[in-house]
Amino acid sequence: MLPITTGIVPFGAVMGTVCANAQLSLFQSVAMNFMVFAGASQLAAVDLMGQGTAVLVVLLTGFIINARFILYSAAMSPVVQNSHWLTKLASAYLLTDQNYAVMSAHQERLKSNNEKVAFYFGASVCMVLAWQSSVVAGFVFGNFAPADWALDYAVPLSFVALVVPTFKSYKYILVAAFSSVASVMLSGLPYKLGLIVTALLAIGFGAWLSRRKAVTT
Amino acid sequence: MIDKNYFWLVVFGLAAGTLSIRGSIIMLSSCVIIPNRLKELFSFIPAAVLPALIAPMVFFHQGHVNWLLGKERFFVLILATLVCLWSRSMLLTIGFGLTLLFTLTHY
Repeated sequence: MLPITTGIVPFGAVMGTVCANAQLSLFQSVAMNFMVFAGASQLAAVDLMGQGTAVLVVLLTGFIINARFILYSAAMSPVVQNSHWLTKLASAYLLTDQNYAVMSAHQERLKSNNEKVAFYFGASVCMVLAWQSSVVAGFVFGNFAPADWALDYAVPLSFVALVVPTFKSYKYILVAAFSSVASVMLSGLPYKLGLIVTALLAIGFGAWLSRRKAVTT
Repeated sequence: MIDKNYFWLVVFGLAAGTLSIRGSIIMLSSCVIIPNRLKELFSFIPAAVLPALIAPMVFFHQGHVNWLLGKERFFVLILATLVCLWSRSMLLTIGFGLTLLFTLTHY
């Protein structure tokens, strides 16, 4: 579990610090953590709320950021296919980038679906504990590491480590490059719409790349 | 200070929407068949969304290293991406990135 929690702990600590700086109460921060349970969208939401962005834009931005869970949901669905609906619901709530990464890394070694489900819930418990406690620690101690260690930089770095394993071919690298350039160019869009527009354009670009491939082969 | 009603409205909306996104395929898979073409489209989502979060965060950061025009975070990120492509390790990527950034900003 070490590789996962190393990504989560600085991320959680940054999340906690951001919540404290936005003058949210500890209750608000912890409640948000349990209810939404998706760090990247929470981080963006707190930042946008601090600037008084319209509710609809905050929500749409959050949903775009979390749209990647559709992919994870699709990957998880055969595993819990024959489980009770409560197990399905719990496994849906617990879906995170880290869980998905761990599951795909261990897919081969786990034989039955029952084994996979047990493994998944075990990994999730570690995740939830590490995440919640690091958020609270970040909230209480502000920055518990000296500021010049630049621990907040662990957030973009951990995103890099999340996205790179999803590059299955050069097409994904092109989409990621397109998305980076477009997001920087569109960052000045009004109402903080840059991320939403970029994501939609980049998915469209991906669709176009794969269609062209399908035609030529 | 973020208004309480505004905060809870966003949190409830985000929680409901996020759970629906997470549950979507898991819950639907027993009733509908997802075409492969759509599945391929889903697989582009992380590559389309995450870089759009990372790039502005890193590119517009006002840095201190003169010979990199204050863009040391951007420079380190590109190297860290290469390390990640090669190693596929989150631990190594974060460790490398933080260490290199610390070294660049302190020496």
